[in-house]
Amino acid sequence: MKIHLKTILWAVLFLFASAPNSISAQDEDISLKIVRANESYHEKDYQSAAKLFEELIEQGQNNGYLYYNLGNSYMRLGKTGHAILNYLRAKLLLPRDENLDANLRYAISQTTDQLHPPQGGFLSGLIFWMKSINLNEHFQLLIMINFLFWSASIGLLYYRKHQWLIVKRVTLGFLLLILFSTGIKYYLQSEQRTGVILANKVDIKSDKGIQDITLFQLHEGAIISANEENDGWLRISLDEDKTGWISKKFVGF
Amino acid sequence: MNHHLQKKIQVWVLFCALIFGVTFPGAVFSEDIRLSTTVDKNQLTLEDSIELSVTVHGVRNPPMPELPPLSDFRVRSRGTQSSTQIINSSMRVSTTHKFLLIPKNVGSFKIGSAVMKLDGAIYKSDPITVSVEISKPGRPSINEAAFTETSVSKTDPFVNEQVVYTFKFFRRVGARNLNLSMPYDDTLFRKEDMGKAKRYSQVINGIAYDVHEVSIALFPLKAGTAVIPSSLLELDLIYRTRGNRQRDPFSKFYEDPFFGAPVQSDHKYLSTKQIELNIRPLPEIGKPKGFNNLTGRFAIAAELGKTELEAGDTTTLTLTVSGTGNIMDVTLPEPNLKGQFKIYPDQPTFKQTIHGTQIGGEKTFKFALVPYSTGAQTIPSIKLSYFDPEKNTYNTVSTRPINLTVRPGVIDDKLNLVQPGSVSAPQSGSSISILARDILPIHTNLADFENSTFSKTRQFAYATGLLGPIVIYFFAAGYIRYNHRMKDDISYSRRQGAYNIAKKKLEQLSSSHIDSKDFMKDFSQIFREYIGNKLNLQGTAFTAKELEEKLNDNDYKQEQISAVRRLLEKCEAMQYTPVTTGKDNELIAESLNLLSQLEKQA
Repeated sequence: MKIHLKTILWAVLFLFASAPNSISAQDEDISLKIVRANESYHEKDYQSAAKLFEELIEQGQNNGYLYYNLGNSYMRLGKTGHAILNYLRAKLLLPRDENLDANLRYAISQTTDQLHPPQGGFLSGLIFWMKSINLNEHFQLLIMINFLFWSASIGLLYYRKHQWLIVKRVTLGFLLLILFSTGIKYYLQSEQRTGVILANKVDIKSDKGIQDITLFQLHEGAIISANEENDGWLRISLDEDKTGWISKKFVGF
Repeated sequence: MNHHLQKKIQVWVLFCALIFGVTFPGAVFSEDIRLSTTVDKNQLTLEDSIELSVTVHGVRNPPMPELPPLSDFRVRSRGTQSSTQIINSSMRVSTTHKFLLIPKNVGSFKIGSAVMKLDGAIYKSDPITVSVEISKPGRPSINEAAFTETSVSKTDPFVNEQVVYTFKFFRRVGARNLNLSMPYDDTLFRKEDMGKAKRYSQVINGIAYDVHEVSIALFPLKAGTAVIPSSLLELDLIYRTRGNRQRDPFSKFYEDPFFGAPVQSDHKYLSTKQIELNIRPLPEIGKPKGFNNLTGRFAIAAELGKTELEAGDTTTLTLTVSGTGNIMDVTLPEPNLKGQFKIYPDQPTFKQTIHGTQIGGEKTFKFALVPYSTGAQTIPSIKLSYFDPEKNTYNTVSTRPINLTVRPGVIDDKLNLVQPGSVSAPQSGSSISILARDILPIHTNLADFENSTFSKTRQFAYATGLLGPIVIYFFAAGYIRYNHRMKDDISYSRRQGAYNIAKKKLEQLSSSHIDSKDFMKDFSQIFREYIGNKLNLQGTAFTAKELEEKLNDNDYKQEQISAVRRLLEKCEAMQYTPVTTGKDNELIAESLNLLSQLEKQA
């Protein structure tokens, strides 16, 4: 039993000792690439900048500023649809970034349809803070409130005072609220159906087929909400009157 | 009697034959198998429809006959009927498939033979020729039961000028199952609904008609010739028929729909003429700068939430555009406030209203303004240009300038707003105008590019963060409960502390310098005290026998009880022996071992 414990301790020690080295080497490579991409952007080589940012994202880098910079590169290249798509991706990670909001607004103003991201329904109105806090921050907040709640519970057990009971109940209320909000945020983000039209001009059909009647047209950069997916077609709706089907290949998510 | 029996047998045979006929489909009866087609009329107009009946005689549950090619008609199924008749003891069965044929073109058309294959044989019906004549759109001839007409408010509108397209349905008989289709080309027009259908009466040539009127507003998108296609109304016209019941005094009850009035229904398709429009382009002469394709009549008004505010406060500028025309297309850029304010635009709101035959409404734009500097400020007039199709001229309307005063705040902080020329030149009346808009620069701080993927490490950290406090809580709860019990429950506290106290005292005794008799006395006392604590007994004056009984009561092992008794008796013996041999370390070791065993059992 002692040998097992010792082996485990050595293994943990080894992991702690070796992990930072490997991570730092990888980090260095990524940092270098980010610097090169930023330099390319400043040298007005937007094509190279966009390529490097795309490579970083393909490597598994998920960072709001990376999407923001990629969005800027696409704006410079005149690809408004791709730019809006990456700004929207960045918005999920940087919900309070003013520069991002300004650039997204500007990009939308450059589109033909000028469709803004959906405002969200009743739940978004009720959990008003949800839009301003990203998913990671939600989890961090949840951990903090969770810690406070259990600390208050220990305090109540130890001191057995009414004040501690109030503290416990208040923290429990916050804990449930944040738990609910985190759950909804996680669900909405994993079921993300807000897309952007990437083609120059797209026909929205009455049914899933190119031979069906064209109900209306959307242009590059239009932000849509997909309600249903079937046979490579998406059913989208802009409002009560404007609903139809669009081939999935024209939409970026 | 014989006659009666004969009749009974006949009835049974007939009944069995009927059962046989019903249960065995495809059985051939006295009637030969044949296929026939009939139509309810062979002369009609484009407004009418024909009911085609394809009947299979002489077979029950026949296969579906194949219809001939009917490219000149739209075909709709109207269901299937089966009938069984017994005439003079012979049974006749038939199955009729009904179809509604709606003509597409004018002319004489031959409805070919329907074909059915059954048991290797092929059955064909006779062909039918029908003649379709052109319908007479427009005002009715005398006594026409129902007709439609369409009109437009203008045949030569400008691009984006509202055209009201009105469909009217006149009728003087009942109508049911109305289905109106008003198609339009969405690449040439944008459509807006104009509310629910109106219903009123109108007298034409002395005949009173019920009129149903539906209007839509069309906004032409391109200059040139544009056609509004025919509208189509599909409906059933209901005619009352008058038969012999006229003379019946109760006939008026039978005419009531409740009693199933004798009515006849006629399925109709009423179409209108297509309308050609000549869409005029907006004139280039006099087109104002910043004109945004607004056509109609509009007004603009500005309102400021607060005209007196402190530095850092926000006020809302509300711009309301109202009028008739394509108001839904109104867009207002951010007002050019020459770097005086930081502007946060809100989503515009639109409320549509209908003024007579004109679509209009109100579109509201809100901007939150934060002043950069203190002092008197002015929001200049904001202009809106539109084309008035009635006067054939461009007009520009504008708001009045609004003055406001920005007082320094209570703590006169420098405004920390990032905008060129905002802080450096307060109240300078800077005339910097925004020449262009562009995206803000990329982010370059490498420290902010940390990967925020929901990795396994992160998931583990979050799970630990969530579950860790719960684990700590249960440990802490156990510890706190133990402490509370130790404090509140004396017997528990004595029981828990017995071993440690006894062990400590024995170790002290082992290292003390006392004579042998006192040693034995103290040793015996420690041991009795341990058992007293363990069993929560008052005092320590117990005999070895009493202790044995108590230990027995508490289910200690017999072997250990005997060992305790022996040890205590040994102590007593040594205590009262005249010659003693000093401290007995073996005795202490033995007692510690015994205590440990007792502790384990406890």
